[in-house]
Amino acid sequence: MSIEQHNVKRSRQTPEALAEKKQREKSKIDEFLALTDDVLSRKKKRDWSNDAFELTQRLLQINPEFYTVWNYRRNILLNGIFPESTPEQINNILSNELSMTTTALKANPKVYWIWNHRRWCLENGPDGPERDGVPSMEWRQANWDKELFVAERMLDADARNFLAWNYRRYVLANMPTRRSETSELAYTSRKIGANFSNFSAWHQRSKTLVGLWESGQLDPIQSRDDEFELVSNALYTDPDDQSAWIYHRWLIGSGENKGQLEREIQLIFELLQEQPDSKCKRLWCMESLVHYKRLLLQNHSPGSQTLKQECVELLSRLADLDPVRYVRYQDLKRDLDQ
Amino acid sequence: MSTSLVVPLHVAYIRALGDSKNELSYHLSAHLRMNAVYWGLTALLVMGHKDALDRDEMIDFVMSCWDEEAGAFGAHPDHDAHLLSTLSAIQILLMQNALNRVDVDRVVKFILSLQQPSGIFAGDAFGETDTRFLYCAVNALSLLGKLDELDVEKTVAYIRRCKNFDGGFGAVAGAESHAAQVFVCVAALAILDRLDEVDQPTLCWWLSERQLPNGGLNGRPEKLEDVCYSFWVLSALSILGKLTWIDSSKLEAFILSAQDTESGGIADRPGDMPDVFHTLFGLAGLSLLGYPALVDLDPVYCMPASIIENLGLRKGWKALQRRTS
Repeated sequence: MSIEQHNVKRSRQTPEALAEKKQREKSKIDEFLALTDDVLSRKKKRDWSNDAFELTQRLLQINPEFYTVWNYRRNILLNGIFPESTPEQINNILSNELSMTTTALKANPKVYWIWNHRRWCLENGPDGPERDGVPSMEWRQANWDKELFVAERMLDADARNFLAWNYRRYVLANMPTRRSETSELAYTSRKIGANFSNFSAWHQRSKTLVGLWESGQLDPIQSRDDEFELVSNALYTDPDDQSAWIYHRWLIGSGENKGQLEREIQLIFELLQEQPDSKCKRLWCMESLVHYKRLLLQNHSPGSQTLKQECVELLSRLADLDPVRYVRYQDLKRDLDQ
Repeated sequence: MSTSLVVPLHVAYIRALGDSKNELSYHLSAHLRMNAVYWGLTALLVMGHKDALDRDEMIDFVMSCWDEEAGAFGAHPDHDAHLLSTLSAIQILLMQNALNRVDVDRVVKFILSLQQPSGIFAGDAFGETDTRFLYCAVNALSLLGKLDELDVEKTVAYIRRCKNFDGGFGAVAGAESHAAQVFVCVAALAILDRLDEVDQPTLCWWLSERQLPNGGLNGRPEKLEDVCYSFWVLSALSILGKLTWIDSSKLEAFILSAQDTESGGIADRPGDMPDVFHTLFGLAGLSLLGYPALVDLDPVYCMPASIIENLGLRKGWKALQRRTS
């Protein structure tokens, strides 16, 4: 019986099959418990030996979520192994840790403890050998560069793995030689180009653009127009995908630019005319139209009865089409009347 | 597919969890044992079957997980102290009316030692940071009556940095919004009486868009539904007073369809293996939706509402009215 599991199909086993499974598992359980006892009693005795280090590896290969053993492993390194190693040896040990955990990550891409161990390895590695009497950053550089590569391979395997995205952002923010934000924008373009419904990439793009605008590397007005073009392509390709609609809402923001707001309302209106059959597609068009018309009303045409009436009509149609969120539409309608 | 909640089977399922020591998966999940006991006990309380598990045995187990060196609780005897297991231990002891067993001063010291200069909390001494741990710290300090020792401004400032344009919150500053992180951030802000930090119209819009045509809720745009989001999404909607923004009967039907009606327990989605984690969060969702004969659950602390009320900690959340049939 697992405590927390996802996507494991339920299957009914006969009592015989169950008994057989238990028999098969018995020796594995005995081995696992004996190894656990051995490791935890060594831990209590503060055994910082190589033997203990090897045993933690065996245990973690069986159970990569055993956080106490990851902690113990790091303590063995800090207290037993590093004090007796040269910087080069330490770098080699940590490179091995990273390789070992790469294998573990591929099998368990959502285990927090593995990602966490990698962070620790990166942060505790020596900078690099001396070159002509001057310390270099060679090892550090190589390790962090490799790390970005690993995070990106993990995102190739699952483009929505939020642990990998978070880790990748951490690497980008801490690597000795930073990558430019322009190349980060290109990375999100590639991810979005591969799959418009990758909201994780749209999210990252929004963060990257803010950085580029604030630092003056991109002109916010021109860049925003480019973004509207990109997101319009996504909306036309797959109008029932939430990702592009949410990004579009971010681009509009609080709706201070009247011309932009009107242009986008017109564009969505045209899209809506093209989607008479698909309920889902119409929903997102109408939902966005209401939101943008409300912004127009609030910011640029307070008191416009026409806009108010258009919103009320759209909300009534939404309530019919999408009864799941009926109360939300009613609440918005009531707000308009106040 | 079942249309009603099979309470006796779920109670039996939870009672049997400790009997599976001849299965490898039981031992491989030792690092989650304290959390599992909290999930199981809370699920029983929501169903009104507190006494289905032995009280003394449970308290002894919790106390056997005390990490004397760190001054907090690990997930299992001889496992290292961690904020996740420390919060669960405090919640269990509180529900068993045995909080007097805790060395409060040491636990508070442990929790406060994990706050980083940025305001976020690490889970343990090795420093993984996440808004989940921030919630664990705020929740535990609040239950222990020691919130006055927390630097509230610093804590709120970090949550603010995790807020995204879609109104949601991520695991760390810069991270994508995720329903579980929305729960921890919104609940932490509720405990700290700082819900003014939330962009409520945008967040409630985002949360209500988590409901899929089959009635289930997902945790992020364009992802699959999962029973555990019945709690992460619903708790946040409940705290923000917008539970009516989703279709409760469709969600209820989805949760009920994920029950194992032969052996008990609730799974992530229909047809999958059940586990105690999804059993609790399915039941928690049903309680907030007003399912008949269940006990009221406090969505901020994920514990029975009466216990939180007795501590004087109830916040202004709203659940749907409990139906009689």
